[in-house]
Amino acid sequence: MAQGWGDGLPLIPPTQERVQDFLIAGGRFPDELIAVLPPLRAECTVEKIAINAVMAGCTGDAMPLLCAAIAAMADSKFDLAGLNATTGSVVPAVIVNGPIRNRLDIPCQAGCLGGVAGPAVAIGRAIRLIMRNVAGQLIGSTSQSVYGTPGRVAGIVFGEWEERSPWTPLAERRGVPGDAVTAYGAMGTANICDVVANSADGFLDMIAKSMAYPGANGFLPSSAFAETLCVINPIWAEVIAKAYPKIEDVQAYIWDKCALPIDWFRPEYRDPIGKLGRIKPDGRVHLVPTPDDVLVMVGGGEGGLHAAMIHSWGTCLTVTRPVSAP
Amino acid sequence: MTIILDPSASLAHDIADPGPDAGALAGKKIAIRIDMLWRSWDWVSEIWAEGLRAEGAEVTFWRSCGRTGEEGVQADREYGALLERSDMAIVGLGNCGSCTSWTIADALTAAATGIPTIAVATAHFEGLAHNLAKRGGRSGLRLHILPYPLDILPKEQVHDIARNHYRSFLRNFGVRSGLAEQSAA
Repeated sequence: MAQGWGDGLPLIPPTQERVQDFLIAGGRFPDELIAVLPPLRAECTVEKIAINAVMAGCTGDAMPLLCAAIAAMADSKFDLAGLNATTGSVVPAVIVNGPIRNRLDIPCQAGCLGGVAGPAVAIGRAIRLIMRNVAGQLIGSTSQSVYGTPGRVAGIVFGEWEERSPWTPLAERRGVPGDAVTAYGAMGTANICDVVANSADGFLDMIAKSMAYPGANGFLPSSAFAETLCVINPIWAEVIAKAYPKIEDVQAYIWDKCALPIDWFRPEYRDPIGKLGRIKPDGRVHLVPTPDDVLVMVGGGEGGLHAAMIHSWGTCLTVTRPVSAP
Repeated sequence: MTIILDPSASLAHDIADPGPDAGALAGKKIAIRIDMLWRSWDWVSEIWAEGLRAEGAEVTFWRSCGRTGEEGVQADREYGALLERSDMAIVGLGNCGSCTSWTIADALTAAATGIPTIAVATAHFEGLAHNLAKRGGRSGLRLHILPYPLDILPKEQVHDIARNHYRSFLRNFGVRSGLAEQSAA
């Protein structure tokens, strides 16, 4: 902590021996450059990842996932420079697909968005330490986040419950089958509860309409475009898939209902929203420009009753990368 | 002996020089970078543009919109083309975290071409702007600071602020003109 390397929690000292062991287990050369990270524009090598991962309590088998996640976040489409500096309460979430979920015990069932014990906490914390120590993201200095978010301590690292999903896995739909990581600019997680609905349309109506609130990122007059993410529990997913076996139809349904009438916005908002071409002929404004911008995945416990909405930040575009074996 | 490895990274180089002065304005092509976020910056820059044109400069505005994906690639191309045909650049507005990040990034791009460049931010984000400029390798980047909060003020008040700041802005930019020199006295 005295060196400014920590997050407030105890750290494991990154001794030369521990880092060496981690590198051997991770199977990568220490000087391999993974990414250049803003705002410091610093070179993030495998060694720097290993040092921070050791401090966070990670094991070496997480190295391929860590490298892929950092590379995904450094993609220019992700706008990490803006994300790391913003006043917003955003953290890059890490969504894991493929068999690596089981190998690394990445949670995708009950408590997957936080609270379940397992290695994902240390993986997420390692990424957060990398952002702090290598990228140089420091609250009050290079980060202007007004509130921050709990996810900035141990990250948000979770998987898709592919075995219970009636649809093709998220990463595969995005062109990366098998082991994959998806980086998503998450403005926190929020709950959607429904104890009444018993039909696909009922669940989807509740999800879509809950996601459409005026202060959501996608409605900002300053955002030219945006994405949004919805995590549906396996109980609801099964019901929804009987009516909508194609995920594109689920996305289209949510997109259509996830909208607000323009007159819900005060007059001073209407002109800039109109200039973006966001007002449809029926007088509604959709949260995101197209159904493709609604990301849908399956995860969470079998208790049902809840979905999770995770709004995006700015014009940060989701990036999916393969997780390559060393 | 136990050796603890350093998890942090540091800058390899820094340019502390602010770059060339703007000098005389007559006949110069000036690019003003505005954005989608801050109407107050539209209002300030339109007042400053009037003054710059009165000094004989030709002013071109460029509005930064989406900076990711295909739209971002197109924006970078447009901005690069604008800088190629400009003699100096005024880049704003740093008035939030991400917009300050983009303001400084665009200012650093302009400064890297060798033309006189100044970034504009509001007081609350001054520290961030300096930090980002330093971490971007150019701690000497010229910066003009406007009051904060700015965007919640009415247009007439923002115009007054723009007029009040115009002389000091010219000085910060290294402009040689009667107005700037008069105010420096």
